[in-house]
Amino acid sequence: MKTVDRHKVIRGKPIAGGIVLGTSRVVLPGETQVTEVAVPNAALAAEIKSLELAVKETVSELDDLRESAIKKMGGPAAKIFEAQLMIAQDEEFLGQVKKDIKSKKLNAAFIYNEHIKRATAPLKKSADSYIRQMALDIEAVASRIISHLSGKTRKNHIIPPNTVLIGKSFTPGEILSYRRQKVIGFVVAEGGPDSHMGLIARALYLPVVISKDLNLSKLQSGQAIILDAIEGKVILAPTPEEISDYQQRRKRMGPALITRIKHLKDIPPKTRDGVEIPVAGNMTLPGPAEEIMAEKNIPIGLYRSEFLYLAGGTFPDEDTQFEHYEQVARKFAGSSVVIRTFDLGYDKMSADEAWPHEENPALGWRGIRPMLEMKSLFKDQIRAILRASSRKNLKILLPMISDISEYDQAKRLIAQVKFELKKKRLQFDENIPIGIMVEVPSTVLIADSLFPKVDFLSIGTNDLTQYILAADRKNAKVAGLYSPFHPAVLRMIKMTVDKAKIYGKPVSVCGEMAGDILALPFFIGLKIDLLSMSPNRIVDLCRTVKKIDSSLVQPLVHSVLASSSTSSVIKRLESFKNAIGSRRQKGNHFE
Amino acid sequence: MIKRTTKVTNRLGLHARPAALLVTTATKFESQFFISKDSIRVNGKSIMGVMMLAAEMGTELTLEVDGPDEIEAMAEIVKIIESGFGETS
Repeated sequence: MKTVDRHKVIRGKPIAGGIVLGTSRVVLPGETQVTEVAVPNAALAAEIKSLELAVKETVSELDDLRESAIKKMGGPAAKIFEAQLMIAQDEEFLGQVKKDIKSKKLNAAFIYNEHIKRATAPLKKSADSYIRQMALDIEAVASRIISHLSGKTRKNHIIPPNTVLIGKSFTPGEILSYRRQKVIGFVVAEGGPDSHMGLIARALYLPVVISKDLNLSKLQSGQAIILDAIEGKVILAPTPEEISDYQQRRKRMGPALITRIKHLKDIPPKTRDGVEIPVAGNMTLPGPAEEIMAEKNIPIGLYRSEFLYLAGGTFPDEDTQFEHYEQVARKFAGSSVVIRTFDLGYDKMSADEAWPHEENPALGWRGIRPMLEMKSLFKDQIRAILRASSRKNLKILLPMISDISEYDQAKRLIAQVKFELKKKRLQFDENIPIGIMVEVPSTVLIADSLFPKVDFLSIGTNDLTQYILAADRKNAKVAGLYSPFHPAVLRMIKMTVDKAKIYGKPVSVCGEMAGDILALPFFIGLKIDLLSMSPNRIVDLCRTVKKIDSSLVQPLVHSVLASSSTSSVIKRLESFKNAIGSRRQKGNHFE
Repeated sequence: MIKRTTKVTNRLGLHARPAALLVTTATKFESQFFISKDSIRVNGKSIMGVMMLAAEMGTELTLEVDGPDEIEAMAEIVKIIESGFGETS
């Protein structure tokens, strides 16, 4: 019976952006239950052989992933797979499983699973997060072996080029492995922007849309598919008009981000009247964007170190962290990297059951707070950063500082680590700059006593706006109240900059607002020392800088600061934006 | 057969990295190698076995090495454990 291609539109939320046109492939969930099946005597040898084959296939997969990780994300990411390789190949463990298969005459998947459960039970009970992490690694290996044994789905058939995968969810390892097989996008039913999968997909610039009502059984493989991960739309069996419309859109989006950054001249960009506006990138996971930024000597204004936690499921040990920081320090030897210490809590914790449940996570145990309680984990991170600091191009940034005591405590712990390293005669940057995020309003209002103590300031406009306006931008009911262009936010930014200048401390902006063209003249007028933004904003921002005459922005700055409503601020900023014409620079450069 | 007791001194205990190092070291030798923690005895050449011990800092371990190169093996294994597996704190 021939199935007819039926036009279907699925709406969802984009987790990672982009538009691709390709062919669909539905991935059904593998067997989650491992059922007990009796195996007749005659078939026992074959059952053992199938276990050995599953192990071989798993080892080969892990080996590929390890190599791919080394190439795409650096040595440290590869360590995850190295540990898993050892687990997969454990002869003693496999020997016991095989013995049990023969004596109990049951199927390999069931027996293997039972042994795995027994092995991970003591680990899961440990109060030590590093030891709990081992259970996760063991289970990751086990799920590969079991899915190879069950053989039904998730078999690595040859995936045709330009495939868009549709499935319930994908692990970071799967995203990486599918990307190597040239999959161009994903549609999933579970996950959120801060899920591990979301982080990795964004870092690899792969579009992903999540649709909670995805009904996999009603979808077909082999259909033409348009994945619009900008709006959050999936079109199966698109009409010719839809196809041509999206092809036009793709053309208009222009060349890939990496290419555009590569062709950037004049970094940092200069305004029309020759004022340099320093620009930096925000980084979550090392990937192609970071590679090109390092090449162009664009510094990292915000390295969100917590991805190391989120990608691995628990706190990475000091040596693993050191390898990551050392690698990024080496890559950016020509510029600098600001490493923000682990900023966990609020929305970045949902997966970990060990994290306390809070009634009010936004006002809770987040930012620097958990790290000041888990002192040895904080010191591990500081030690790893300092060990990587011998090129003197690293800076430490402390998140969510709301009070001087938090800064003082952190400084004390950092001093202890420096002392320990000195005793061991290890090289590090003794004068490593230590700065604070300005995101809690109290910080701004105690500036006179706090700012003189720090080395630099970084305004986190996202959280600052939320706290000033008491509105959660992720809450649909009040998201309309959230705007970084609210006069209160602009005034608080101005207060911060004024105090920073009084005490001679460099001040940067690292929230989303830093990359917003609308806010650019305001920041130029305030003489912000650095704008750090998502890499995909850099090119357009640099272009816009060149169109602005910095001697003409003061009236705009005054008028928005005097405004009493978000809408009048936005109106003023938009009319400024529309007024800056497109003028060609000498030499016909248009960047 | 040589038997010795030792203590896990590194702060993070016998997690993935030191466990892997211990197993890699022990598998270099011909001799059999067993580790006991309280009443649990595991094959020290098996990463799963060593991990299962969930040996946190301060845990006392009993090491048993038996075979033609037992003296060398025990010496190197003990060295690796007592040096804290090369972790710097």
